[in-house]
Amino acid sequence: MHGVKRVQYSQAALEAKKQRDHDKLKAYLALSDDVIARKSHDMSNEAFELTTRLLRMNPEFYTVWNYRRDMFIESLFPQRSPSEVNELLSDDLSLTFELLKQHPKVYGIWNHRRWCLEHIPDGPSPDDVNGYRNSTWNKELFVVEKMLDADARNFHAWNYRRYILATMPFPPPPKSELAYTTRKIEANFSNFSAWHQRSKVLTTLWETGELDRVKSIEEEFELVRNAMYTDPDDQSVWIYHAWLIGNGNYAARLQFEITSIQELLDEQPDSKWCMESLVRYKRLLIEKHAENLGDKKALVDSCLELLAKLRDIDPPRRRRYDEIAEGIRSGNEMQ
Amino acid sequence: MSGSELPKLARVAHAGHCNRCLSALPSSHIQIDASRLAIGFYCFGTLDLLGSIYEKTKEIEREGWREWLWHQQTNRPYGTDPEEYSEYDTPHLIMTYTAILSLAILRDDFEQLDRNGIVRFLQACQREDGSFTSFPNGGESDLRQVYCAFAISSMLDDWSGVDVDRAVSFIQQCSSHEGGYGQQPTGEALGGTTYCALASLYLAPSVSDLHAPNPHVTTDERRRTIRWLLQNQASSGGFSGRTNKDADACYCFWCGASLHILGVGDLVDRTAFLSYLASCQFKFGGIGKAPEDRPDPYHTYLSLAALALFPLEDADPSWKLPRLNALWNTTEDTADWIRQHVPLYTVKAQSPVRK
Repeated sequence: MHGVKRVQYSQAALEAKKQRDHDKLKAYLALSDDVIARKSHDMSNEAFELTTRLLRMNPEFYTVWNYRRDMFIESLFPQRSPSEVNELLSDDLSLTFELLKQHPKVYGIWNHRRWCLEHIPDGPSPDDVNGYRNSTWNKELFVVEKMLDADARNFHAWNYRRYILATMPFPPPPKSELAYTTRKIEANFSNFSAWHQRSKVLTTLWETGELDRVKSIEEEFELVRNAMYTDPDDQSVWIYHAWLIGNGNYAARLQFEITSIQELLDEQPDSKWCMESLVRYKRLLIEKHAENLGDKKALVDSCLELLAKLRDIDPPRRRRYDEIAEGIRSGNEMQ
Repeated sequence: MSGSELPKLARVAHAGHCNRCLSALPSSHIQIDASRLAIGFYCFGTLDLLGSIYEKTKEIEREGWREWLWHQQTNRPYGTDPEEYSEYDTPHLIMTYTAILSLAILRDDFEQLDRNGIVRFLQACQREDGSFTSFPNGGESDLRQVYCAFAISSMLDDWSGVDVDRAVSFIQQCSSHEGGYGQQPTGEALGGTTYCALASLYLAPSVSDLHAPNPHVTTDERRRTIRWLLQNQASSGGFSGRTNKDADACYCFWCGASLHILGVGDLVDRTAFLSYLASCQFKFGGIGKAPEDRPDPYHTYLSLAALALFPLEDADPSWKLPRLNALWNTTEDTADWIRQHVPLYTVKAQSPVRK
């Protein structure tokens, strides 16, 4: 539905296309009617194959995914060995991977994939009950990587990646996920999803003590400064920077970053993000470190000057900047 | 460009587009076959906003649609314990929400509404963590379903199907450091889910005054979210759904309505907003996601709903649209109908009337 562009056809080609569309629709509707008529009672292999055909035509048909799962539970799994069950599930994992390549954002396909993973049987032997699971789950990161290579912003894939890392029996260490985000960010600074993932991974590494928070934040500020200087217009970088600043309780860091951003602004006088960030961080200084400020008035005036410039270069947000300026003038808390 | 320089809203053409979609969809749309009720809602909603339900459709058609909608109400599992839903029934949370709205637009009296059944259904869909799945025993769970559960409960004026505290807690966990809310905890903020989160938090039964600070949204969350939402308005006037993505007409609703709910709708650049949506109009009717794109009922409806929330004083009268209830996502007239007919007990002429 999104972004289907119009194509020009000759009269004859148009007629042929109409006929093809008509035939396709007829076939789909017939198949759909057949499958739905069977779903309350038919658990046969034949019905199973029909659901495969129907799902290939319409992978968003959640009722049919449900029916397929019921067939697994009611008739295909019972009386089959763990090895056969594992094979059936592997086939469905292949099917969903194939469908995802054409339909990367369909909830039902991702959902069915999770279901398959969660139903892998114990095996291959009583001494190795997790063998099937480990081997299958280990391949999932590869699948997600392929999906993210195709579309690095696909939030279904990122959410799924986080699900796999949280659930797989032997996840790779968080540091390796950190390295993955580094690769994605270096490939494209605009990839906000990668920066976002990085913030999640770092939080975990700080909580577990695997990385020293203070040192790590220093390094992150360095990383983000490089990105800022490379492309000051990229929104992702500034959002990540704001995350690093956090609630602004550390005055020295605020001052340092303000100075650094000001230097960038001197080189790029029209950079909206530089100005917006300076206003934000200066306001944090005013709000949180008033007692240590030398010249509060100079800070306030600087903010008002920046907001006046922002009104000019960023017209869609003019009213917002006016509102902020009003807040600063009347000494109100940040809105 | 001032409001008076904008092109007109092609009302007749857009009504025509949705009317055609109500009759039939081409084979390229096979993938939305399972979402017919949602598509129906976008079409009915468009006609409702354009005030053309009665002009453009016949009573016999409206009767047919009401009948079709009631046909989708499922209240008996096939051959299993009547107290439990089996996966054969597949009632769907999002479709239930759109069905109720559609029936209200079509001015149904809701005599056939299985209110108890719907409450049981909501209970069956809620998970441990407070989120809701699309259907009992399975389906994806994210903020879209939470919103639908809240909207349905609010329309029924019956919250017994929802553990509100747990649901609110889930929503709050979806709050992102960027501002806005993601699909799930740890997810990136998205325009659609931000609307779902905010609308839910403002629909919650503990919130009676929409102008007072919402107890479920911290000052910090509110501030971050407003900043994030406003940054999503591109210079073209359209909104994007998240950081570093292109503008898309549907996000004019998801993000615009979010700002409206937060009480800061005035901060949106209205002229640019309207100008972007005007340019998304397709020359044969309907509104697409971006200029030159093919239209569809989803983008058509949401564009009009967004425009209803942000009227422009000096725009051509063709742009005048009725007031929209931003929390339920329907016109205020339809919202009134819902209040009078959907709950089990309604207050009519000073005395409660049991339906």
